[in-house]
Amino acid sequence: MQISFYFDQSRCICCHTCNIACKDWHNIQDVKVNWRRITTIEEGVFPNISVASLSLSCCHCEEPACASFCPVGAITKGQENGVILVDTDTCLGKDHCEVCLQACPYDVPQFGAEENSKMQKCNLCLDRTAEGKNPACVDACPVRALDAGPMEDLKAKYGDTKDGIGFSYDTALRPSILIKPRKAEKEGENKDFI
Amino acid sequence: MSASGDVKIVPTACLHDCGGRCPLRVYVKEGIVIHIEGEERYRACLRGRSLRQRLYHSDRLKYPLKRVGARGEGKFERISWDAALDEIALELKKVKEEYGNSAIFYSASGSSAILHNRRAGYRLLNMFGGCTTAYGNVSNEASIFASISSYGTMWTGNTRDDLINSRLIIMWGWNPAETIWDTGTSFHLIQAKEAGIKIVCVDPRYTESAAAFASQWIPIFPGADAAMLIAMAYVIIKEEWVDQKFLDTYTVGFNRFKAYVMGAEDGIPKTPSWAEPITGVSATMIERLAKEYALKKPAALVATWSPGRSGYGEQFHRAAIALATMTGNVGIHGGNAAGWEWAYPSTPSVGGLPVGKNPVMEGTAPHKNSLPHPNAPNASNARVHNTKVWDAMLAGKRGGYPADIKMAYFMGGNPITQLADTRRGINALRRLEFVAVHEQFMTSTAKFADILLPVNTNLEKEDMGVPWLGAPYYVYANKAVDSLWESKSDLEICTLLAPRMGIENYNDKTDEEWLRQIVEDSKDIPDFEAFRRKGIHIVDLAEPWVSFKEQIENLEKNPFPTPSGKIEIYSQMLEDLNNPEIPPIPKYIPTWEGRDDPLAQTYPLQLISSHPKRRVHSIFDNISWLKDIEPQALTINSVDARARGIVNGDLVKVFNERGKMVIATKVSERIMPGVVHIHEGGSFEPDEKGVDRGGCPNIFLKSRHSPGGAFCTNTALVQVEKL
Repeated sequence: MQISFYFDQSRCICCHTCNIACKDWHNIQDVKVNWRRITTIEEGVFPNISVASLSLSCCHCEEPACASFCPVGAITKGQENGVILVDTDTCLGKDHCEVCLQACPYDVPQFGAEENSKMQKCNLCLDRTAEGKNPACVDACPVRALDAGPMEDLKAKYGDTKDGIGFSYDTALRPSILIKPRKAEKEGENKDFI
Repeated sequence: MSASGDVKIVPTACLHDCGGRCPLRVYVKEGIVIHIEGEERYRACLRGRSLRQRLYHSDRLKYPLKRVGARGEGKFERISWDAALDEIALELKKVKEEYGNSAIFYSASGSSAILHNRRAGYRLLNMFGGCTTAYGNVSNEASIFASISSYGTMWTGNTRDDLINSRLIIMWGWNPAETIWDTGTSFHLIQAKEAGIKIVCVDPRYTESAAAFASQWIPIFPGADAAMLIAMAYVIIKEEWVDQKFLDTYTVGFNRFKAYVMGAEDGIPKTPSWAEPITGVSATMIERLAKEYALKKPAALVATWSPGRSGYGEQFHRAAIALATMTGNVGIHGGNAAGWEWAYPSTPSVGGLPVGKNPVMEGTAPHKNSLPHPNAPNASNARVHNTKVWDAMLAGKRGGYPADIKMAYFMGGNPITQLADTRRGINALRRLEFVAVHEQFMTSTAKFADILLPVNTNLEKEDMGVPWLGAPYYVYANKAVDSLWESKSDLEICTLLAPRMGIENYNDKTDEEWLRQIVEDSKDIPDFEAFRRKGIHIVDLAEPWVSFKEQIENLEKNPFPTPSGKIEIYSQMLEDLNNPEIPPIPKYIPTWEGRDDPLAQTYPLQLISSHPKRRVHSIFDNISWLKDIEPQALTINSVDARARGIVNGDLVKVFNERGKMVIATKVSERIMPGVVHIHEGGSFEPDEKGVDRGGCPNIFLKSRHSPGGAFCTNTALVQVEKL
């Protein structure tokens, strides 16, 4: 089984509540450390513009580059749930390594400001899911743009939808995430006036 | 309260004065808050979820402070509560004896709590003989004025679950993705979008709401909104799309409005071509939106408050209401009356701490241009308009103001950043004999205190809250932890002050006893214990709440609360004010400091400000989790930036006759050329030359309000230069 995230980009209002809920639950005080990151993609020239936002945490890839490149085997993928975890005792730390950050196409690995900080990232709120709760970000989203669960269940619920604006599905790594894209508003669109 | 192991979960709420009113679940372990979660249905935003960082912030005011440097310099020393309270009581008595109660200026804000904050101080000062206060709601006075003069009430809205019944939603300046506008509104708009309902956004900025909800963005110049609405009215009249039966049955004065719109009154037909150069919106677009609005019924025109925060902003709201009536979109599911937006009457259902009467206002006449209507806000001419507070302090009775103000008592609220013309504000506060401030942090206003008292946050006391705009629920805010350091609630402070001021019986109840009584008096919350235990009471409505449904169903039995009993497109009440700047029918009146003002030769950019997603006004500005989300900046279109040699991120100087600021730029396509934007609530941080480095846009505002009382945060011309 692979526990995964679903993100409905067409719903996202770019409010950052998911990130704050994540920081609160995992008690991340370091402002530069974001297990969930929200980026805004703006295209076009006034007044014909389109804007989309992308809320992304670790995608818990089926073939995680971070894990395969980690020189000390600190990053492992759970057999049972597919969740990728970091053993911070084994991790060499940012002053000596950062190979995982270079390997990840989605800039997931995070490092704190302290000396030789160890890699940290989304663990899919295993403490919450063990109690049958959703990850903190999922329960926080004001517009219900996030969901999490076994990949097969998510596919059945939302369809096999992989690419979003600002996100391209890496076929080698196979990120465990479904994204419903926001449709780009094209110049001259809006023809649905009566 | 529920507990799991040594962690207890306290149901409480976020009670800041923002558009939401969100229930929270606070995890407390050994007396320390360790997590904050929202509730499933009414989900809290990033602000409420950051309250832990606010609660434990190292910059919290911890002890009573007494000024030691020059006023405003920000130098203080710690004193005891007894010494601080004695001094405030002494100064209050001194000012009262020497100058009378009107010399005490009181203002309070920062919380929408039912029990604590603003009511506590007002009750105290009213029992003391009264005080001078300000009128003119900074957020929405124009909408209040238009709603009262047109409908006779501010209860004009529908609950958000009714949006799904619309065929078209026009968000006119409406940005609930960032300003919330009742918890859950964004989700209702998403559901409307997914149901295929067309959503159009009219706004000078491509906001997060425009991005997430709208399929069409219509950028419009600030201050020009009434012109576009009136041109839409022209199209609807000309094409005979008017709902004549509705107008005949429920309204008065349409023909007077029609004569103005079609040009019979002044020889100028208000055609889309007339509106095009005023608004920056093409005539074709105006025609298309008019057609859409007239023919796609029911349609919800949400005429929100920001366009009304302009010179003659009342006309925007009056025109929007005229359009809603012309199309028969009032009092029906899926429509919207385009008024002030209160829906379910949760606000009047709960009273709050009784404040009594203010003797300074007793027997006074109404101020000029106030509406002689029982539902209009308190109109005493003993009050000072919010844009004139600083001027009133400086000029006093000789300047035509009702009082010679000698001391200010600010219970939160941060008026230095939130009122207009900051430089004048600083001069005014420096001239007073005494300034007392209750605060949680060293705000731009707190720096001007002589005595500064530390107030606890809403996680440290018992309270309750009501949604801003009439969502059908109430929140109970249980106390999560004891007050930190030496902080106290405003009510506690006032209770300690009262005997020192010679006041008896100020407070004979505990917070819980007050809340129990308020709930019992409410009639709408059946069970205090259950309410407190759950932290929320949701009123189950059989169907979405629609204002004016009873009027539309049976006008004879349920007349509108207006002098005529109908919706007043033409208002005799306004005619009787005899002021050409407040015409009896909606008109477009070009504002001062608009694009056509000769001043635009010197200051060619229109500055607007809006509420940021990461703050509630100036509150939360210092929260590290939130700070980087949207750094304070001047947003400028690439056309205006290029003309000035500015690239994204550059520091620029922004200036007009009233202020100077240095701020980083955000060059963006998401704002119209000719318009620049700074989020309101940025702190005022003057350097040695008095140039603001904190990004407080209100330094640029003129101390002038619209004739109907609007506070004009979106009417200011500035120039921008690369530093």
